[in-house]
Amino acid sequence: MIIERDHLFSESQFRSRQLSLLNSDHPQFHFLGVIKMKALILVGGFGTRLRPLTLSVPKPLVDFANKPMILHQIEALKAIGVTEVVLAINYQPEVMLNFLKEFEKKLGIKITCSQETEPLGTAGPLALARDKLIDGSDEPFFVLNSDVISEYPLNEMISFHKGHGGEASIMVTKVDEPSKYGVVVMEETTGRVERFVEKPKTFVGNKINAGIYLLNPSVLDRIELRPTSIEKEVFPNIAAANKLYAMVLPGFWMDIGQPKDYITGLRFYLDSLRKRSSAELASGSHFIGNVLVDESAVIGDGCLIGPDVAIGPGCVIESGVRLSRCSIMRGVRIKKHACVSNSIIGWHSTVGRWARLENMTILGEDVHLGDEVYSNGGVVLPHKEIKSSILKPEIVM
Amino acid sequence: MEISEQKVVAVIMVGGPTKGTRFRPLSFNTPKPLFPLAGQPMVHHPISACKRISNLAQIFLIGFFEEREFTLYVSSISNELKIPVRYLKEDKPRGSAGGLYYFRNIIMEDNPSHIFLLNCDVCCSFPLTNMLEAHKRYGGMGTVLVSAETANQFGELVADPITKELLHYTEKPETFVSDLINCGLYIFTPDIFTAIQEVSTHREDQANLRHLSTFEALQSPTRAFPLDFVRLDQDILSPFAGKKQLYTYETMDFWEQIKTPGMSLKCSGLYLSQFRFTSPDLLAGGDGTRSALIVGDVYVHPSAKVHPTAKIGPNVSISANVRVGAGARLINCIVLDDVEVQENAVVINSIVGWKSSIGKWSRVQADGDYNAKLGITILGEAVMVEDEVVVINSIVLPSKTLNLSVQDEIIL
Repeated sequence: MIIERDHLFSESQFRSRQLSLLNSDHPQFHFLGVIKMKALILVGGFGTRLRPLTLSVPKPLVDFANKPMILHQIEALKAIGVTEVVLAINYQPEVMLNFLKEFEKKLGIKITCSQETEPLGTAGPLALARDKLIDGSDEPFFVLNSDVISEYPLNEMISFHKGHGGEASIMVTKVDEPSKYGVVVMEETTGRVERFVEKPKTFVGNKINAGIYLLNPSVLDRIELRPTSIEKEVFPNIAAANKLYAMVLPGFWMDIGQPKDYITGLRFYLDSLRKRSSAELASGSHFIGNVLVDESAVIGDGCLIGPDVAIGPGCVIESGVRLSRCSIMRGVRIKKHACVSNSIIGWHSTVGRWARLENMTILGEDVHLGDEVYSNGGVVLPHKEIKSSILKPEIVM
Repeated sequence: MEISEQKVVAVIMVGGPTKGTRFRPLSFNTPKPLFPLAGQPMVHHPISACKRISNLAQIFLIGFFEEREFTLYVSSISNELKIPVRYLKEDKPRGSAGGLYYFRNIIMEDNPSHIFLLNCDVCCSFPLTNMLEAHKRYGGMGTVLVSAETANQFGELVADPITKELLHYTEKPETFVSDLINCGLYIFTPDIFTAIQEVSTHREDQANLRHLSTFEALQSPTRAFPLDFVRLDQDILSPFAGKKQLYTYETMDFWEQIKTPGMSLKCSGLYLSQFRFTSPDLLAGGDGTRSALIVGDVYVHPSAKVHPTAKIGPNVSISANVRVGAGARLINCIVLDDVEVQENAVVINSIVGWKSSIGKWSRVQADGDYNAKLGITILGEAVMVEDEVVVINSIVLPSKTLNLSVQDEIIL
């Protein structure tokens, strides 16, 4: 029964102990309940908040820290032994299905799609995927929200779930401004959920729904196949029956469904890589703080990169470039002496010499910023050429 | 002596997907040439104008869009007009004249005596028969349709007032040159292909003969272009001006370029008012008793359902399967396929995208300045405007739901 972090072990020791248990025939292998678990990832719709990036690819395939967003979740699920992932989608299934074929093989995990023909809200998709989630084994299944990044301590969640014996477990995370979200009010010691309060006007708690659930198959009996909200209809029912428990999510959490939070989330993610002493982070005199560089990217002389930067595959960063707090997608070329901060540069774009980009400048796919151009918060749709400066935040179509 | 059975062909340049970003957000799902004006795809207007020319053998559409975007349209229009219409896809940019030259064998299949060249995004009365007569009188290689300057652009060409010969041509002048502009409509004899080839050859000779120093190489303007990249304006009209090869034909009717969604609304209105003279049966009528009250020029697709208590017009175009609820008011707007306008809603100076929904008592409107960036409100595909919400001078990208009022905004 593991609810709080085990203080005898550091994060990395704890994790490696878990993994060694998974990879052996140790009897605890079965205690962790890792046999044939399934998961549903709520992918949903058009990702309009992440436009212009989502004008080129569906949101789950937008890269985050050099990997498609959804791959972070699928890998976390695979790592604890989930054998089948169902993606609940209602948009561009052809693009998603192609992606899936590629990753099914690479990861050795079964990935299927459950497609909504009308929007079913946050709970309806579970009912739609019922046949894929229930296999008679009575194992609980995970439900993840595709916009969320975190450390995904899914083994701890399984232990928590089996420990309290309730019907459903949710992860909650502490936030500074709970009134912007739906607050989960729970008993401190057991984690039993008392109620949900949507955008409370007075302080009722500072824990919000983190979008990670572990549900018994019986929960599906509570959900009808129609547009339904899991927070407004399903969870309150389970809470009223005293069968819903919440676990405080250890480590970082971010909803990266919009650009500002994407950049903040990148900082948290890279920071957690640092804490795990990951070899993936770049090191050298050209780097400050946490920086992720794909091995196929090329960086010129005299650059200063970081903190909190991710540089994707095939990128060319020419000499004398300054990058901080930004995400550079696949195939981007940043020309000499340019300076980019707090921005996202979309696939195959170019940034001209001596250009300066800052304050949440977002370039969509195939955008070419001319030499010496300044952008203060410009949001540029795909396939554009920008030759004159953008002095204040503006959308360029 | 002229053989009276000589055929003519028409070539319509339709552009391509990454070229027309100015037409966003309407171009996200539909190629601009197929966007409806006055109930018909944009390219339909020049095509039907071409059909009026006698001895027309074929119509060619040349562009960069994928063939499959035009397959359905091309086969249905060929059937309807009983004339072959073909879409030819350019594989790489060759300039406006280079593209024409590249397809010369196909264009010359029927041995036409004259070739019409039209730009798809031109909105005008297409006086093609009169223009052809004038061209034959002039006896030159080509005739350009011109118009006296519209309010806010400088003219580009100078024509002899008596002979109508094209004397001088300059691209996008910054100072006053003349009051005549190039309307983007031309008639050529097959000599045009020889002229285009001469330009390529001349360029090649220049490149071969001169041993350019590095400095000269940077200066030479033609170095930037590959040999087969030939632009109609700079490389044909400009050099051939004043050599008794090119002539002008002036139109006194309306002329506009459809570059932005705002302009498409203006041009839809121009075509609707033209219908009153050419095809009045296409326009809707109604007096509010058994069918909705219609004011001014209005097009309603036969499958659309408009409640009798709604008031529609002037200058409204309603596409297929649209439902307009009781008490709704539509003024100066284009309502695209499958839209639902609910009871008592008001739509003014706007374009409502395919499958969108306009809620009860909601208001979608704009100032109506066709040239301003946010002068016409545009709702992309599948935009839901909830009941009682107000949307003013804004552009909304596809698949958004508006549950709060917005003004002067672009909503991604």
